[in-house]
Amino acid sequence: MNIMVIDDSLAMRLIVMKTLREAGFDGHEIVQAEDGVQALDMIRAAKPDLVLCDWNMPNMTGPELLKAINDDGINPPFGFVTTEATKEMKDKASAMGARFLIAKPFTPESFKSTLSQYIN
Amino acid sequence: MNCCVVNNETNQPKLPATLPGFESVKRYWDRSSKCITARVLPGQYYLSNKDEIITTVLGSCISACIRDPVAGIGGMNHFMLPCGKNAGTCEHDSAAARYGGFAMEHLINDILKYGGRRERLEIKLFGGGKMLGLMADVGQRNITFVKEYLQTETLPIVAQDLGGTCSRKINYFPRSGRVMVKKLGLSQGIELTRREREYLRSLEQAPIEGEIDLF
Repeated sequence: MNIMVIDDSLAMRLIVMKTLREAGFDGHEIVQAEDGVQALDMIRAAKPDLVLCDWNMPNMTGPELLKAINDDGINPPFGFVTTEATKEMKDKASAMGARFLIAKPFTPESFKSTLSQYIN
Repeated sequence: MNCCVVNNETNQPKLPATLPGFESVKRYWDRSSKCITARVLPGQYYLSNKDEIITTVLGSCISACIRDPVAGIGGMNHFMLPCGKNAGTCEHDSAAARYGGFAMEHLINDILKYGGRRERLEIKLFGGGKMLGLMADVGQRNITFVKEYLQTETLPIVAQDLGGTCSRKINYFPRSGRVMVKKLGLSQGIELTRREREYLRSLEQAPIEGEIDLF
């Protein structure tokens, strides 16, 4: 499977990828993007099987990216992994078709319980 | 410096509203500095765009004081890495990195949300002392983490006062970036060590974990 991790923080991308491994999701291809613009190009080029996306990023935010791929008719399972998680954010994420919102700090256990249905 | 509006009728300073989300941080009028002061406790962080002092007391914990001088917004966090399963050795594990990364990212993201720019961030680090009575050198472990984190993020440190065997009182002026560090005596260090040990235990017993929402 192809998993995309999008976050403007390299440290956080590394933590997310390590947590994926610790959750038992080894052996999958993981690609990274540092903002929505870069991610959109990559998603259009090769549709990922799962997208884990930060909310606030420069150039193009997570919700803006989700809208863009919705407009393109590309619908990979898409979820947010964010520092802040207000009710407004959750309502917006749900309305836009996101599958989940994981608030940091996360754990391997929370990744496993949330992502198992999307990762073989 | 007087950085507070005084109520003419009561002669008491008016505390301006905090930025949204920081109402739980205790603030008071500090007579000696004649300034509103926000006290940051372990596990908290505080952000301000006003002429306030942000203060904390550190033993082995770390505080990052971060601001964008152009946007006029800055803040301070106060954290320690949990030791997890290897509490005796306090090795640098992924649970610690997740928690420390969260503590740093929360402050940085909020600064960016209020108009800060990553390339303009001015970062100063304090704490990480080797305190008597704490298992292993958790202070050095905290220092190693925060320096590695900032190196990965390519965020430069402009000032630091880290390590050693003393505890520190930090007064940070987020509008100017000025920091006053006071090294504390042994008696204050003993009490601080007790509180930090409780904080460390609370992190180990009830790990902080964010909510998960499935849609």
